Amino acid sequence: MKPFAWNYARPAELAPVIDQYAYDSTLQLNVLPDGRPAIMDRVLLAAVGTTTSTAGSATHFDD
Amino acid sequence: MTVLILTCEQDVTADMVVAQLHKRGVPLVRFDPGDLPGEGALSAEYVRGEFRGYLSMGGRVVSMDGLRSVWVRRPSEPAAHAPEPSAWLSAESGQALYGMLECTQVPWMNDPSAAAKARLKPWQLRLAHQSGFPVPATVITTYPRVARQFADQYRHVVVKVVSGKPPSEPPMALPTTLVPPDADFSDVAAAPTLLQRYIAKTADIRLTSVGNESFAARKVAEPGQVDGRYGDTGHTWRPVDVPGRVARAVAQYRKFSGLAYGAFDFAEDSEGTWWFLECNQGGQFGFVELETEQPIADAVAAWLSAPGE
Repeated sequence: MKPFAWNYARPAELAPVIDQYAYDSTLQLNVLPDGRPAIMDRVLLAAVGTTTSTAGSATHFDD
Repeated sequence: MTVLILTCEQDVTADMVVAQLHKRGVPLVRFDPGDLPGEGALSAEYVRGEFRGYLSMGGRVVSMDGLRSVWVRRPSEPAAHAPEPSAWLSAESGQALYGMLECTQVPWMNDPSAAAKARLKPWQLRLAHQSGFPVPATVITTYPRVARQFADQYRHVVVKVVSGKPPSEPPMALPTTLVPPDADFSDVAAAPTLLQRYIAKTADIRLTSVGNESFAARKVAEPGQVDGRYGDTGHTWRPVDVPGRVARAVAQYRKFSGLAYGAFDFAEDSEGTWWFLECNQGGQFGFVELETEQPIADAVAAWLSAPGE
């Protein structure tokens, strides 16, 4: 017997590998290769989905 | 006075607030509990009735009596990045860190005890009802017979996870799903199961509450769409005014829960009623701000800079 809710499960999507920006410990935020803060690139953020309501699902349950 | 942000390096939503704090000239220390011990370090002394505590990360040191506020965003498990991680080391590190921080009198977004309670979905539903929100009829049960009766009574019901946490072994996603009429409920005995009356929604509503401020956004739903987090419908989030009744209920919920931050999810029906689905005490807000340009990160930064004002 398995939990009832599991009857409606689907495979988890793999978290995207993000290599377009990296953490800068001096600025205490993520930066693009040209040094600008990653949050300046709104298109990139939307594309990688790191701010979306499912972004934290793998590790956090407050989405 | 320094703002302490507990989150992981990958958290770009926190970056949005860090940038606003930089603009305001407010000192901050970003600390991931996963880096303790290691790159992150602490020391706390309890001697002759005196308490002194220090936290350091990346060359920055913050004294506990120099803290302005604490923001708990997406912290890793304490000691998660240690060379030899273990449950014991995580427990020791977590006790040392959070115990030291609890010795301060500074405001938290969100206070850990309030956050822990707010994660309990059954309690959320009760508090939402008491606060004045319309809440869809819900049952949480391990009795297959009760589940069957509930489904028969409301005809269209959805199943959702109680904790919100997806299974990790194997990794699965558990979107809120409409239960088919011929479902076999015998598996309900295997785990507490949450069934809720299905609300045929015209839109999803996300209301982000930051201190006394509320930012509501609306996204049109496709006919029959159940879980707005899954499936791209082509619609985008748009700012929407908060009805007076909802605003009063949010204020009540905030008061009773003790939350400084909360992300409320509602289903809007064809009559324009906002049905309470849940309130995520650590819910994401970046995706709303990106599409609506509502200044949520700035509101968080303002609260952290001058909490309680």
